[in-house]
Amino acid sequence: MNMAKRSLTRDIETTLFALPAVILVSLMIYLPFLLSGYYSLTEWNGIDKEPVFIGLANFKRLFTGGDSFISSLVFTMKFTVLSMILVNVAAIALAVALVKKLRSANVLRSLFFIPYIISMTIVGFIWKFIFSQGFDNLYELTQLGFFDLSWLGDPNLAFYSVVFVGSWQSVGFYMVLYIAGLQSIPGEIMEAALVEGAGAWTKFFRITLPLLGSSITTCVLLSLINSLKVFDIILALTKGGPGGATYSVTLDIYREAFQNNNYGFGSAKSLMFFVLVLLLTQIVLRGFSRKEVEL
Amino acid sequence: MMKKQRTGIIILETLMILVGIFFIYPVFLMFMNSFKTFGEVVSNVIALPKSLEIANYITVIEKMNYPRLFLNNLVITSIGIFGIVLFSSTAAYILDRRRSKYTRFMYVLIITPMLIPFQTIMITLLKTMSSLGLSGSVWGLGIQYWGFGIPMATFIFFNFMRTIPKDIDESALIDGASTIRTFFSIILPLLKTVTVTVIVLNVMWIWNDFLLPLLMVNRSPDTKTLVLSAYTFVGQFNTQWHYAMTAMVLAVLPSIIFFILLQRYIVEGVVAGAVKG
Amino acid sequence: MKKSLAVILSLIMTAFMLTGCGGKKEAEQSADAGGEKAASIYMFVSSPEYADAIGELIKEYKKVKPNVTVNYETTQNDYPTLLKAKLNSGECPDIFSSTSGKEIGVYLDYSADLASQPLAAAMTDPVKAVMMSGSEVHGLAIKGNFFGIVYNKEILAEAGINSFPQTFDELESACEAIQTAGYQPFTSGFAEWWVFKHVFQHFMYAAQPDDVEGLVNDFIAGKVQIKDYPALYNDFFRFIDLVVKYGDRKPLESDLSTEIAGLGTKKVAMVAGQGAWIEADVLKIDPTVQIGFDGYPVNSDPSVCKVIAGSDQALRIYKDSAVLPEVLDFVNWWYTSDYGKSWFSDVAGVIPPVNGSKTPDFEIIKQGNAHVEAEGAGTLGVVYSTDSFHQAFGEIMQSYVAGVLTKDAACADIEKKWVELEGK
Repeated sequence: MNMAKRSLTRDIETTLFALPAVILVSLMIYLPFLLSGYYSLTEWNGIDKEPVFIGLANFKRLFTGGDSFISSLVFTMKFTVLSMILVNVAAIALAVALVKKLRSANVLRSLFFIPYIISMTIVGFIWKFIFSQGFDNLYELTQLGFFDLSWLGDPNLAFYSVVFVGSWQSVGFYMVLYIAGLQSIPGEIMEAALVEGAGAWTKFFRITLPLLGSSITTCVLLSLINSLKVFDIILALTKGGPGGATYSVTLDIYREAFQNNNYGFGSAKSLMFFVLVLLLTQIVLRGFSRKEVEL
Repeated sequence: MMKKQRTGIIILETLMILVGIFFIYPVFLMFMNSFKTFGEVVSNVIALPKSLEIANYITVIEKMNYPRLFLNNLVITSIGIFGIVLFSSTAAYILDRRRSKYTRFMYVLIITPMLIPFQTIMITLLKTMSSLGLSGSVWGLGIQYWGFGIPMATFIFFNFMRTIPKDIDESALIDGASTIRTFFSIILPLLKTVTVTVIVLNVMWIWNDFLLPLLMVNRSPDTKTLVLSAYTFVGQFNTQWHYAMTAMVLAVLPSIIFFILLQRYIVEGVVAGAVKG
Repeated sequence: MKKSLAVILSLIMTAFMLTGCGGKKEAEQSADAGGEKAASIYMFVSSPEYADAIGELIKEYKKVKPNVTVNYETTQNDYPTLLKAKLNSGECPDIFSSTSGKEIGVYLDYSADLASQPLAAAMTDPVKAVMMSGSEVHGLAIKGNFFGIVYNKEILAEAGINSFPQTFDELESACEAIQTAGYQPFTSGFAEWWVFKHVFQHFMYAAQPDDVEGLVNDFIAGKVQIKDYPALYNDFFRFIDLVVKYGDRKPLESDLSTEIAGLGTKKVAMVAGQGAWIEADVLKIDPTVQIGFDGYPVNSDPSVCKVIAGSDQALRIYKDSAVLPEVLDFVNWWYTSDYGKSWFSDVAGVIPPVNGSKTPDFEIIKQGNAHVEAEGAGTLGVVYSTDSFHQAFGEIMQSYVAGVLTKDAACADIEKKWVELEGK
C-alpha cells in the first residue's frame, strides 16, 4: 500500500519534472512537424486557402527520380564528407600545435575560435565580399592565378568555396574540443613514449590518436549533424548558385516550398531528409564505439 | 637535444602565428572596410583606410536604430537562456535518476528534434506560434527558443548528470528533503560547469540566429534583431559596401566582446559539455 | 570576472525595463489619440531600394491622418518566403507585393478588387493592363519601369561609336572597338537570376512581336520549342555568348553591385539586364557619368531593337483586412493627392504610374520616353511567367554560361520548367 502510493507520487514527480520540456518540445517542434507531415500528402502551393489531398503521390514523384532532390542530396553528401574530414583534420592539427608550450598559444586559441561566434549569415557575407571584391584586388597586387579563379562563379570551385567557408567558421570549435581531449591524456604516457624513443609521427599515430577516441567520436558526430543541415552559409554566399551547383538538401526544400510554390512536395522532401539524417547518424554512431556518446 | 627542441618550438610558433594571421584576416578586413569611405571601398578593398571614417558608424547606428535592436537581442537571449536551462536541467535530472522505460521514452522524445531540420517545419511553425500568440513579439520569440534549445541542452545535461554519483542526492532524499529541494540546493550547484556550457552555446546560437527571427519578428523595426537588421541592411544597401560592412561589424561586435570578457568560461564550458559528457 | 558578470546582468535588467516601457507607451498613445478611430496599417513589400522614399510618404501621410500609423517593412531576397509564411499564419499584411501579370492570379484569394477606387482611374493604362484579372484591378504599382541596355556615352564616343548599335553585327564590332579603346565592353550581372529574365524578354519580343503572351502560353502548354524561334535559339544565346566574351572576368560572380560599380567607375561601357532603377546608384559613385539608354540589338533587324516599358511589380491590398477602408484611403491618397502624385518624380525618382504627373529628371527615363515616342516599345514579357519559373530559368542559364549545360540541353530544361512550374 505504502509502496504503491510512494511509487505513484514518484511517477507524478517524474512527470512534473520532465513535463515542461516535453510540452515545449511538442508544441514548438512536433506539432508543426506533424502538420508538415499532413501537407506532404497534399498538393498545395502555400498560398491557396485549401490544400488538395493527393495521398502518396508526392513520395512517388520523389522516388521516380529526375528531380533536383537527388542532385542536392549528392551535393550534401559530398559536402558533409569533405567538411567532416577537413574540419576534423585541421582541428586536430591545430590542437596538437596549440597544446605545445607556445607563448602565443592562448591568443591563438581565441583567434581560431572567433569565427565560430560570428553569425553564419554574416560569415557568408564577409566571404562573399572577399571572394568577389577582395580577390580582384589581391590579384592586381600579386598577379597570382589563384586569385583570378572564379571561386563563387565556377560550379566546381563554388563547391570547394562553400566547404572551405563552412570549415573556416567551425574549425575553432572542434579545435577547443580536441585541445581538451589532448590535455586529459596523462603526461606519463607521453613521457614513456619519449623514453622509448618513439618518433613524433609514431607517437602521434600510435598513442595520441587512439587516446583521443572519445573526442573524435563527439566531433565527428557533431560535424556530421551540422554539415547535413548546412543552410545559412550557402544562402548568404551563393544562394545555391551558380546554376544550382551548390544546392544543399535544406536549400532545395526551401526552394521547392517557397520558390516553386510546391509546399506539399517540399514537405515530402523534408520528411525524407529527416529519415535520412536519422539513419546516417545511427550508422555513424554504430561505426564508432557506443561508449562515449549515447543518443 | 634541448636546443633542437627549442628551435622546433620557435619554428612552430612562427608558423602558427602566420596561420593565425591568415585565418583571421577576413574578420580584420571587415573591420577595416567599415572605416573607409565609399570611394575607398570601391577602388581598393585590401588597402588600409586613409582615415578612420566614424561617419559610417554614426549613420548606420541611427538608421538601424541600434540601441533598440541591441536591447531586443538581450531580452530575447536572456528569456531563451532562462527557460532552456531551467527546463532542461530538471528534465535531465529526473530522467537520469529514475531510469525506466517511461523515462527512456521521454528522453528520446525530448532529444530527437535535434535531428529535425528547421526548414521542415518553417511554415507550419509560424502558423502554430501565431495561434499561441507567440509570434511578432520579442518575448514570444524568447519563449520559442525554449522549445528549440531544450533538446540539445537536455542531451548535454543528461550526459553530465551520469558523472554525479547517485549517493549524493539519495542521502539527501533519505534525510527527508523533497526532490525539488534536493535538485535546487544540491544538484544544481554541482551542475555549474555544464550549465555554463549550455548558456554559452545557447547565447551564441540565439544571439546570432537568423531564420527564426526572420519569420517571427521581422514585422516591425521595434522587434528586429541585430543579425536580421544587418541582413536587411546588406540587401538594401547592396552597392554601398561601406555601410554594409559597418552594419555587420555592429552586429558581430557584441558577441566578440562577450567572448573576450568571458573567454575562460566559454572555452571551459564548451569542453565540459561536449567531452566530459 | 565577477565584475563583467555583474555588468551583463545589469544590462539585461535595463533591457527588460526599457523594452517593457516602450511597449506600454505605444499602447497609451494609440488609446489617447481619440477623435477619429486610430488604425494601423501593416505594409510588407519588396523593393527595399525605395525604403527611404516610402518612409517619406508615410511621414507625410501622418500629417494628413494623424490617427493612422503605417508600419512599413521591406526585404529583398526572401520576400516570397516570408509572405507565404505570413499568409498561412493568418497574419496577412494589409499591403503586400507580387509581380504583376501572371502572379496577379496567384494571390487572388487574398487581394481586393480596386476597379471602383479613385486610384484605378488615376493609373496609366499600360500599368493598369498588367494589374487586371478579368475586368478587376488587383494591384497598383510603385513605379513604371524601363528595361534596356544602359551604357556610358563617353566610352562609346571614345571608341568612335556615335550612335548606339541597332543590329547584332554592329554591336559585335562596337564591342571590338571598345575593347581596343581600353575599356571593358560589357558587364553581365549573371550572378543574379533576374538579369536573365530581363534580357530574355527583349528576345521574346523579337520572336513574336505581336503576341508575346500567346507565345509564353504556347511554351507553358508545351506546344512549341525554343528551336522553332531563331530569335531565341540563335540570337538570345549568341547575345549571352557575346556578353560572356566581352564581359567580366568572372561572369557568374558579377551581380547588381558589380554592374553598378563598373558603370559608375567608368571602367565598363555597357550594362546587361538592368534598367531605370540603377541610375541613382551609378550617379552616387560618380555624378559625371554620361548615361545612355537603348534597346537590345537582337539580330539584323533594327526594328526589334527596342526598350521595354511597364510595371513589373504590383502592390496588393488584402481584401479581408480589418482596416480595409483606412488602407484604401491611404493608397487613394497616394495616387490622387498632389503630394502623392509629385512623390513619384520628386521623392522616389521613378516613372510615375499615374496620369498627369511630371517625369523625373533621370537620363534613362528621358531617353526611354524619347525612344518610345519615336519607335514604340517592346512588350513587357516578364509578366507572363511567374518568378518561380524565372528563378529556374536563371539557374539554367547560369549552368549554360558555366559550360555545364550545352545549348540544346539548356533549351530542353527551360521548356521542361515552363510546363512543370506554370502549367497548373
